[in-house]
Amino acid sequence: MEGGLINFLETNSIYIVMFIVLVVWLGIFLFMLNTDKRLKEIEKELEHSGSATKEN
Amino acid sequence: MISNKSIIWKAVLMILMTFVIIAGITFPIVPSPKVWYEFPIIPGLEQKAKIIFFHVPTAWLSVLAFLMAMISGIKYLRHKDIDDDSKSAAALQIGMMFTILATITGSIWAKFTWGSFWHWDARETSIFILLLIYGSLLALRSAIENEDKRARLSAVYSIIAFLTVPFFIFIMPRIMVGLHPGSLELDPNTGKVIQGSNPVIDFKMNANMRIVFFTSLIAYTILYVWMYQLRYKTIIIKDKLSKKIIRGKNWKVD
Repeated sequence: MEGGLINFLETNSIYIVMFIVLVVWLGIFLFMLNTDKRLKEIEKELEHSGSATKEN
Repeated sequence: MISNKSIIWKAVLMILMTFVIIAGITFPIVPSPKVWYEFPIIPGLEQKAKIIFFHVPTAWLSVLAFLMAMISGIKYLRHKDIDDDSKSAAALQIGMMFTILATITGSIWAKFTWGSFWHWDARETSIFILLLIYGSLLALRSAIENEDKRARLSAVYSIIAFLTVPFFIFIMPRIMVGLHPGSLELDPNTGKVIQGSNPVIDFKMNANMRIVFFTSLIAYTILYVWMYQLRYKTIIIKDKLSKKIIRGKNWKVD
């Protein structure tokens, strides 16, 4: 099975390019997802500490 | 809590972009396409025609971003809300990045299609001028420390700058003689405008290519919205911190 896939990729090298681009895209996507999550947490902390300061 | 709506959009982006990458890279190019996943051969371009699925959407995003920058600029001038300036700045930065990406990807393609990286073709010249215009705007923004003054000047500049965008992106490259697909062609003997002699310049997508192309445009647009939100939030947070609005002792960023 594995050998068959490698043989296929060796004869159809454009699919190697496709897999590489897909890995890059997955990396960018996960990075953005993570940044998004972190920013939301920072925003929440900012709001929280902002309101805490006002209360004081 | 992350909203369901936001997760759906991100999932849609993931699926569409993955489809565009798979289809855009691996769908076969054949002399006469019979099924929906086959693309026609364009003499002189062959596999290089597939750049359209990745290069054109980057150029589209630069237009979209500069348009959004202008709209936020107009909003700022009307309501004097500094958040609108932050939105405009976020759009400008993303627009600039995609303009640079469109220039680089186009230049690599040009090397293998026209023979060298840069030709001062109408399309290349117009994007170069756009880079200068918007590069100046970013330089102007970084040179002014007063927030209101920066926002006002930037808003006016982004409105005036965007007036040139339709001309440089959509009009000029189509009314001038050039090498880029969509340019005018001239008969070298008579000097008259002709059509149909150069398949690269006359390049038109068939229905199968359009499916992938428009999916790509949608995917890139969602990507833009997401990037814009991230950048906008970053600017707002940075702004809040620099103004020292937050005085909480326990506040920290990991």
